[in-house]
Amino acid sequence: MRRVYPLEERCINCHLCEVACIVEHSKTKSPVSAFHVEGLRFNREDSRTVPDPAEALAAGVPKPLTRTIVQTAGYVSVSTNCRHCAEPDCVLACKNGSLYVNEDGRVLLHEDKCVGCWMCIMACRYGAITPNPTRRNVPAVKNNGINHHCDLCPERETPACVWVCPTKALVFEDRDVP
Amino acid sequence: MNYYEEANGRVALGIRRPEPGDWHHGYAEFHVLRDDERCIRCLVCVRQCPYDCTFYDPHRHAVYNIDENCVNCRRCEFMCPTDAIEITRWGAGFRENDNWRHRTIRAIYKQADTGAVNLSGLGNDLEYVSYFDRIVLDASQVTNPSIDPLREPMEMRTFLGRKPERLGEDCEMHPNLQIEVPVIFAPMSFGAISFNFQKGLAMAAKEMGTYFNTGEGGLHPDLRAYADCAIVQVASGRFGVSLDYLAHSAACEIKIGQGAKPGIGGHLPGEKVTREVSRTRMIPEGSDALSPAPQHDIYSIEDLRLLIYAIKEATEYAKPVSVKIAAVHHVAAIASGIVRAGADIVVLDGFRGGTGAAPTIIRDHVGIPIEVALAQVDQRLREEGIRHQASLIAAGGIRSSADIIKGLALGADAFYIGTAAMMAVGCTACQQCHRGKCSWGITTNRPDLAPRLQPEVAAERLANLLRGWAHEIKEMLGLMGLNSIESLRGNRLKLRGVGLTQVELDALGIQQAGL
Repeated sequence: MRRVYPLEERCINCHLCEVACIVEHSKTKSPVSAFHVEGLRFNREDSRTVPDPAEALAAGVPKPLTRTIVQTAGYVSVSTNCRHCAEPDCVLACKNGSLYVNEDGRVLLHEDKCVGCWMCIMACRYGAITPNPTRRNVPAVKNNGINHHCDLCPERETPACVWVCPTKALVFEDRDVP
Repeated sequence: MNYYEEANGRVALGIRRPEPGDWHHGYAEFHVLRDDERCIRCLVCVRQCPYDCTFYDPHRHAVYNIDENCVNCRRCEFMCPTDAIEITRWGAGFRENDNWRHRTIRAIYKQADTGAVNLSGLGNDLEYVSYFDRIVLDASQVTNPSIDPLREPMEMRTFLGRKPERLGEDCEMHPNLQIEVPVIFAPMSFGAISFNFQKGLAMAAKEMGTYFNTGEGGLHPDLRAYADCAIVQVASGRFGVSLDYLAHSAACEIKIGQGAKPGIGGHLPGEKVTREVSRTRMIPEGSDALSPAPQHDIYSIEDLRLLIYAIKEATEYAKPVSVKIAAVHHVAAIASGIVRAGADIVVLDGFRGGTGAAPTIIRDHVGIPIEVALAQVDQRLREEGIRHQASLIAAGGIRSSADIIKGLALGADAFYIGTAAMMAVGCTACQQCHRGKCSWGITTNRPDLAPRLQPEVAAERLANLLRGWAHEIKEMLGLMGLNSIESLRGNRLKLRGVGLTQVELDALGIQQAGL
């Protein structure tokens, strides 16, 4: 199965992979709208077409969240995302079956099922799962955003982060090791 | 963000006040405009700017610029995912004055600030006449047929080095370099340029059947695999020179001078001497790499002969030895002496040649154009009957395949391209090479900047450039009715001058257009 692998020595810490990820997983697929308009709508249920970035910021989440995260330490940087393990700990830990492995081997989420218990976050040995505070299926409980991790861009042949990387520091290939 | 903290010190005070030692930063040259509708605050530009020009202010949730630091490298423009950035000139600048131009005024401010020699990168950027642009080419019409290079073979192969005195069974053959395109990558040392770029040059040279030149900074152990396409340089600093270094080469080059700074040595600042550079150059890490102005064992043609033959001995007469000089007055007499001293290749570097760092005043005012130097040297060597004893490589300001065709007709065998090669991999000619912060990862070894240029990407783009030029050269040869580079070499009847005086035409050895 093909996965996204980062090449640490090529990463230039530009974070364009994050931008591409956000845009790819937005409704409009337009960077300006994804960053300025959609985040506001997700949070405020607001139908206004003209966004106010300050309001979006005040609302806490100005845009859809990225699924790949550039980690930096000094001069070293690397873009990290879900490893789509062959025997995923997160799927074993998921108590209501909202995480599953599809026929391609991708670890995916039933977004409507997830209750935000975060057991997957606890179980993931790579720290590749983050909570998504813009989506809560149990509104009564605070701070329980649902599971949020790389889905390998189901609508694209090559994931957006791989396509956008200016130094080809992300590769999409088949290796034995996750 | 720590950058923000630094910037906040200035911004929060609300007063921008250039310090007495910093007046040249008092007037910004460029203005970075950011379309706020388009800016998505992804901060790519903030992370990409190595010149401390772009900042993020979390209180305003906005990106802004300290324009006085902008050098117009255009990296932010290139990387911006929404095309929100535009760099313009700042306002009116100084009052219009053709005598006291802004660069002149700024140079004085800078020296009054620092009391030092102003440095620059890249090459001479003043408005001297470009003879290449005043020369036009001939074409075949009716009386002689032109040749279509897509249908007929076109010979591009060139051999560089000493040729036999006469042909025959007993003729003595000398070591020669074989190149498939008449373009070689110019000497650019590891240290001045990044490892990745040098590796890219080596890979492209290997692919295209030509050579790259190590410059004076030695050959990194990881590049010794490319020894077959390396020309190794022995310069006045002797950095990285050893028997092993000379052995890992296709040819050796003695560097006497550089077109951008004839008569002075090099200076690689200690900050650029990283661990790898120090290992390659065989000097302590962090120490300035100063190469002396002259080679202190060469004070005459006779001394040069000693070094040439010392290198030939060391390499067992298996490799051609080239000598590189800057084009200066009396270059023809000097070149004649160099050929008689035993050089197999003479490299002439014109005053447009590039550099990693040179005093601006020397870069802009010393040396002569490559076109006249080339014409004069070729003429002189022919008159003396020693043209076959050495090949001529022209360097310094070769910008296109047209320059190459014209240079071939003026008498060169091959050409060095340095600045053009850098532009192929992203250089925007911002002239900041001497600062070691190249935002394109070309002239820097800073670990956060160097990966911006990847060897494979560089090699592909460089090979494409050579392929394109080779195709254009074939087309231009064909339209002149020639089917090989050999037929054009020194064939000045194919050239005509436009808008040149008789003295200039005579110096170039060409005729006025129309005659």
